[in-house]
Formats: sequence, C-alpha cells, structure tokens
Amino acid sequence: MQRRELIQSAVTTSALSVFGAALPFASSFAQDRFAKYRGSTVVMSIPAHPHYDAMLKLLPEFTKETGIKVEVDKLAVPRMKDKQLLEMAKAQGDYDLICYVVMWKGEYVKKDLIRELEPFFKNASLADPGYDMKDIVPGYLENMGLVGGPKGYLAGPGAKLYGLPYGAETSILAYRRDIFAEHNLKAPETYAQMQALLPILKQKTGFGAMTSRGQAGHQCVHAWLLHLNPLGGKVFDANWKPVFNSPQGIQALKFLKEISDSGPAGIPSYGQGEMMTAFLQGQASMYLDATVIFGPVNDPARSKIAGKVSYVAHPKGVRYSSQSGGLGLAIPKNAKNADAGFLLMQWLTSKAQDVAVCKLGGGPTRNSTMVNADLVRQYPEYITLKEQLKYSDPDWRPIIPEWDEINIQALGVAVSEALTGKKTAEEALNGMIPKVTDIMKRGGYLKS
Amino acid sequence: MKHRLHYAALIFLAIFCVLPIVVMFVTSLKLQTQIFNTGINFIFTPTLQNYRDVLNEGGFMRYLSNSLIVGLASTLITLALGCMAAYGLARFRFRGRNTVAYTTLLLRTVPLAVLAVPVFMIWNEAGIINSLSGLVLLYVAVNLPFTIWLLYGFIAQVPIELEEAALMDGCSPIQVFYKVVLPLIKPGLAAASIFTFRIAWNEFILALVLTDRATRTLPVAASLYITDIGVDWGRIMALGSLIAIPPLLFTFIAAQQIITGLTAGSVKG
Amino acid sequence: MAVACLYPVLSALRLGFYDWSMGTPWSSATYQGFDAFIRAFTDPAVWRSLYTTLVFAFVCVSAEMVLGIALALALEERKQKPLKGMMVFRTLFILPMMIAPIAVGLTWRYLFDAQFGLLNALVGLFGVEPIGWLANEHLAFTAIIIADIWQWTPFVFIMMIAALANMDTSVIEAAKIDGATWWQSVWLVKLPMIQNVIVITLLMRLIDAFRVLEVIYILTFGGPGDSTEILSLHIYKTAFISQRLGSAAAISVMLLMVVALLSWWALRLSNPLKDKE
Repeated sequence: MQRRELIQSAVTTSALSVFGAALPFASSFAQDRFAKYRGSTVVMSIPAHPHYDAMLKLLPEFTKETGIKVEVDKLAVPRMKDKQLLEMAKAQGDYDLICYVVMWKGEYVKKDLIRELEPFFKNASLADPGYDMKDIVPGYLENMGLVGGPKGYLAGPGAKLYGLPYGAETSILAYRRDIFAEHNLKAPETYAQMQALLPILKQKTGFGAMTSRGQAGHQCVHAWLLHLNPLGGKVFDANWKPVFNSPQGIQALKFLKEISDSGPAGIPSYGQGEMMTAFLQGQASMYLDATVIFGPVNDPARSKIAGKVSYVAHPKGVRYSSQSGGLGLAIPKNAKNADAGFLLMQWLTSKAQDVAVCKLGGGPTRNSTMVNADLVRQYPEYITLKEQLKYSDPDWRPIIPEWDEINIQALGVAVSEALTGKKTAEEALNGMIPKVTDIMKRGGYLKS
Repeated sequence: MKHRLHYAALIFLAIFCVLPIVVMFVTSLKLQTQIFNTGINFIFTPTLQNYRDVLNEGGFMRYLSNSLIVGLASTLITLALGCMAAYGLARFRFRGRNTVAYTTLLLRTVPLAVLAVPVFMIWNEAGIINSLSGLVLLYVAVNLPFTIWLLYGFIAQVPIELEEAALMDGCSPIQVFYKVVLPLIKPGLAAASIFTFRIAWNEFILALVLTDRATRTLPVAASLYITDIGVDWGRIMALGSLIAIPPLLFTFIAAQQIITGLTAGSVKG
Repeated sequence: MAVACLYPVLSALRLGFYDWSMGTPWSSATYQGFDAFIRAFTDPAVWRSLYTTLVFAFVCVSAEMVLGIALALALEERKQKPLKGMMVFRTLFILPMMIAPIAVGLTWRYLFDAQFGLLNALVGLFGVEPIGWLANEHLAFTAIIIADIWQWTPFVFIMMIAALANMDTSVIEAAKIDGATWWQSVWLVKLPMIQNVIVITLLMRLIDAFRVLEVIYILTFGGPGDSTEILSLHIYKTAFISQRLGSAAAISVMLLMVVALLSWWALRLSNPLKDKE
C-alpha cells in the first residue's frame, strides 16, 4: 500500500511538474501566436452601431497586446453591405475582417465571398486553447454563423461555420414598472394578456400602449415576424411554399395593426430609431423588440425613463419564440491578412473581451458574460436575457439569399399597406403570394 | 398697397425657406432628449457637444479637404470644358450637332444608382478607384452635359453682331471668345459654377462607391450618423450645418457675379 | 469627356441583358436577353412607380417653375426703385439648395415627425390631434412634394435671375416708353427674351425630378406601402437590395424613354437649338 501511494504521489508530482513546466511554456506559446503578425495591419469593416462603438474603445488594447494595428471603416449598415459586396468581389480586397448582418450570411456564402472558420480554429498556431466555443450562446452561434445545413441556415448535417456572433440580439419585453404599478397591472406572459392590455393602457395613461416599428420595407416585416413566430406561423412551409397568408399570419398582422392603432401616433412610418425614441421619451408603456434597448434606457442623454424599466420574456403565443438576429464577424475570401483578421476576431469574442465590451455598452455573446457578477449589477436584465435566450428561435426568419428582396420589395409593401388600412390583412397578404412565389421560382426553390 | 402685398408674400416665402435650416441648426445645439421634447420649445440650454463630437471624429479634417479638392477641381474643369463646348455648339454648324446635343442631355437622365456599379468596375480596371482624381473625372463627366446646355442658352442670347463687329475690328476667333463672349455670359458662368460645385460637394452615392477611408468626402461621412438603431440627430445636424457653409460661401462669391452682371452698356449701342 | 461619360452609361445599359448580382464575378453573369425588359414592362409595381413619379414630377416642376420665375421677377435688379433688403432676400432664397440632401431629408423627417415634429406642434396650437404625416399615403406624398419644392425652387430662381441679368434692358425701356404695363412687359417682352433659359431650366428640373433619391429614401423609404416609391428609388431597391442589376438597368431604360419623350415635348414648345430667324 505504501508503495502504491508512493508511486501515486510520484506520478502526481511528476505530472504536476511537467504540467507546471508547461504553464509558462503555454503562455509564451500564446504570445507566439501573435508574433508572426506583429506590425501588420488589419482593416475591419464595421457598422454605425452601439456595440461596435463600444468595441472601438477596446482596439488600442489589442494593439498593445499583440502589436497588430487595426484600421476601421465605419459605414451605415446598408452602405456597409454595398461597399462590402464591391470590395469582396475584387481580386484582392481592402477588408480583412467584416461585420455582417445575419440576413446576409446565405448570400455571402452562396457568392463564395467569406471563408470557413473551421480551418482557422484547427490551426494550432492561431487557435486560442482557452477559447471555449461552447460558452458562446448556442442560439447566437447557430443563427449567426452556420450555413449549409438544413434549409440552408440551420444547424445539422452539412452546416459549416462561417462567422461568429458579435453584437447578436434577441427580442424581449420591456415595460414601465411605475406605470404598471400605478394602474395595478401585471406584466403580460401570454399574447392574450398582452392584447388585453393595449386598450387599457391607452385609455388609462392617455398615451401609446406599445411602441413598434412600422415603416415600409424591412422595419414593418421585422415587427410582424416578432408576432408571427410565437403565434405559430411561418413564412414558408417545409417545401418552400409561401404560407404567410395562413390564419396565423393574418392574426399576427391584425395584432400588429392593433398595436399600431393603440400606440404612439405615426407607427406606420417608424423605423427602429423612432420606435426606441418613443419608448425612451415616455410616449409608450411597453416595448417588444431587440435587446439593444438595454444600454440607451440608462443613458441620460437619450432617455427620460432611466430606472423605471423592468424586463420580462417575450410573451407566449402558442409557443415561446423570440427573435434571433443581429451582427457577426466573418473573414472575406480575398482578404490580404486573413490570419491576422482571424486573430482579431478570436480576441474580440474571447471571454475577457466579451466582458470588457459589455462594460462599455455592448451586448453579451457568451453565457459566462451574462453571469458575471459585475455586469449583472450593471445590467440586472441579463438574468432575464439568459432565460430568454433559451427560446431564441434560429428559424425565426428564412435566411435565404432571396430574403432581402422578399423582405423589402414584397412583404415590406404588403405589411405596410395593411398597417395604414389601405388593405385588410387578408387582402394584403393574399395579394403578395404571387410575387413571392415568383421570386422563389426564380431562386430555384420551387419548380414551376 | 401693392408694394406691401409684395413684401408680405416675400417675407412669408423667406420664412418658409429658412425655417428648416434654422431647425437644422437649432437641433445641432441640442442633446437627444431635448430634441425629442413634444411641443414647441425655444428655450433650452444650447450645447456645443455635438460639434465637438463631430470635429473630433477622427477624419473630419481629411474629409473636409477631400471634399474641397474634389469640389473645386470638378467645378473649374467642368466650366473650362463646358464653355468651350457650348460655344462650339452655338456657333459652329457641324454634322450630327443635334444628335450630340440631345445625347448629352439624355445622358443626364440615367439614375446615378444604376451608374454606380459599372463605374466601380470600370474605374477599378483603370486603376483610378479610391482616388480623388477618379472621383473628379466622374463628376466632370456627369456635370458636363448640364453645363453645356446651360451655357449654350446664355451664349445663344449674345447677339452675333457683336462678335462679327469684333472680328471686323481685327480680333482672332479665340480673342472674340475670350474678350467678347465670356464677359457677356458671366452670369451664366456663375450659375453653372454654383450648380456644379453644389453637386460635387453634396453628391453621395458615387462618392460612396468610389472612395475608401482615405479619400472619403463629407456627405458619405455624414451618413455614418445614421446608426443601426436610429439617427444620431444632434451630431448629424451639426455636420449638416458645417457641410452647408462652403457651398454657401461659394454661392455668395459667385452670386456677386450674377448681380453685378453686365447691365453696363456693352449690349446697347 | 465622351468616353468618361458614355462608356459607363453604355455598360450600365448592357447590364439590362444579363442576370447578374453584385459580388459575383462578371463571368458568371448569365445572358437573359430581353427577359429583364419584358419583366420590367409587365410588372405592376413598376407601372405604379412610374405613375407616382409622373405625378410627382408634374406637380413639383410646375410649382417650382412658377415660384422661381415669380421670385426672380420680384427680386431682379432695378435701377429706378430698388426693393429694400433685396440682397437679403436673394441670399435667403438660395439657401435651401445648398444643404446636403441627407440633411434635407433628415430635417424634413424631423419636422414631419408625428410625435416631436414642429408641424404637429404648430397644428397642435389649434387643438388638432397629432397627425401621422408620414404614416398616411396621401400626406406622405404631399410631404415629399413639399420637401422637393423647398429644395429646388432656388435652382429655378438662380437661373432666372442670371437670365434676367443678362437681358437687354433697352428693349424693356422701349416698351415702357410705348406705354406697356408691368404685366405686359413681363409676358410679352421679358419672358420671351429669356425663353431659351426657361426651356433649359424646365428640362433640367424635369430630368432631375425623375432622379431624386436620397431625400425620399430618408423621408419615407418609398412608404407607406409604395405610395412614395418613385422610379429612381424603385431602381435603387432593385439594384442594391434585391441584387437584380439586370432588371434595374432595364427599368432605367424605361425611365430614359419616358424622359426622352417628355423632353421632346418640352423642346417642341421652344427649341433653343433651332436657328433663330
């Protein structure tokens, strides 16, 4: 027995000493990861978005740690896409790292413009052993980065990783705690309850019940999708036939109209900015949309309601289904410094930097970030967010390359016309079926 | 009585003209929460924070100088080429004159959005992408048709007898052009320069496509304040106010030419 | 000059014959003949957009021409009885055109805002409920017309002032000596004399009204529905959002034909190119 113990302790000690010796070796190895790229420059394409504004403050730290310089090209989101398409189609492009909106992932991969990330992560000289991919919110990762799987955009056989979430978001219900308390109201948990609250709030407070997007194009469709999914509807069925004029689709659109009618004036022209402003300026009691509202609520330069807001999960219809979407990072095929770009991408989405960007006003990408004690004190809503993310639906919208056209030139017109009352919900949705069917046929999803 | 009605109408229109600009300027002095106060409020504490933010935004000086270079260069080159072409069109009868004239007119109808992508590809092949000279070349090409037509209208109003008189006095055709025609169409030149400068200064989509970070112009920089979650009102109004200053200055200078245009006797007698 | 101008336009038009989207190499573009053109001509959305554009152009250009000429006449150089504050007025009336379209769009969007806009604030003084200007089809259309008139009347104004400054005043004096009233001297003498410039201004405004993009993009993005989606915006969406550059080029050809037609009609009224008797 003694001998066994002796051997055990000997093995343990030797193992420890080897491991101990390996520790400094590992960290210097980590430093070597960046050594080859010291002095090079990474050019990054970013949008004008609060998460990326926060990120900008982190970049000097990156340069100090690694010696790699970063130049950013900031543009408004639609312009960013135009410029990216032009740049990435050149033989050699200007960008080494790009930010993209989740809706573009199918298009970018189909046009062969961005690189798969697996090879980078498998490359021992680049990959960070402490990265912990599993810590990244699975819903975000699947939604943002996987292309090639079932339906083209979901996880499953054939899916490959092309991007990492950074600035991803889901939907959540924010409401004015003080107003609800004043009128003895409970935060809604189901769609039925939420619907009942609309006229009550409007009548009791005298101003809008819930704020919402409504502008023709992407905005109003986004708002409609927020309700379509929990109510059990979908845009296409399993065979890509358009079914958005199903009873659920019509119900969702009618509900959106109710929100518009009982909300602050002008919803049919509201973009995301106007929607948030109405809530932040106290013109509406409820907000059901992206989690990007967290930061501005407490910003005295933008908000009159700081400290008065509580959050609950996106209410249940026939199921729980909150938005999945937002921004991510990818590497262009024609990047000059793809490896250095990958290093930056990996660094930004690492555990330490995720916490850092949240402290500066960005959004969390990792589960560990949301339970970080400091951050939870700063953003108590992270607790609700963590729960909410369980219901974030990767199939929230069909992320096919044709989506932009359907979104803006087809559904975007129909939903808007229903909101202004020009057509009824049925007329609007039924009327758009032929056009969308035509687009799907042209895209090869439907046989003529 | 008629005079007073006259004045009243003018004042009303002037207010209509100026009000949005005043609103733009006033908004640039407010913070977001103040901008979104309901009701009319003229009393608020103005802040220069927006201007400070805009001027500190990294490349402001660079964008400004890019815009200035592009604006002035385009205007000068367009004017030079334009008045010569217009003169040719007016005075010389050559075959296909009408077709040339009408084609240049129709070229202007093409929406810039459609032009943007082919231009990007062609300019890329030619190696002048992302350069200020490439942008100037495009602006000149785009503005030339209008300038030619505009100056044509003015040249056509110059009585041909004047030129014939000068020729008889022994001037060469070039001198006729410089000494007789050009001074007479000064108001036209001034108008053309105002319009050309304005387009080169304020143009957006072609500038977006043809410039990169280093050569970006001011209007493209302004679009940055339209963020993903809404407009950065205070700052974009501040930038808008700043951007408006150079064309205004340019217009004042050029407008002097129009106003002190010749009414002095060269046409009579 | 011809090369720089013509080549991009021709290549843009050539796009109409191909099915190509941005970001793919040109070699992968498939030839589709007249498909895109046929689709453009049979698409009800395109015709609706064309109709919207025609109404928009007609209203705006008429208003701008009338206002511009009237203002120029009111503020032209007068030796005998100079109008007080003329310089001030002239300067003020030129201002709107100088503001960058982005700022114009945003400022008007702010003014028209249902909750926080100045217009509703003024209207509220009379006790009227806040109106969703940009949320109603007809009001949104009115809004883009107002914004355009505001922005472009200075253009007509400047052209007219320049033309009037260039005029031969001896003819006017002669007319006055002959006993013509102010009205008559305007209609029968001045306007015909600057006829050339008027026609050119009209043509330019007409063409430009069909090309307005940024202001409407920001003000309404074509909404509500597609009530303010003028043709250039529709082309932009087709090209950059739907990634169908071929179709966009085809629609542009259609636009070109319409404008050519209108220009021909305008030139028939008075063609500066025709030799004078």
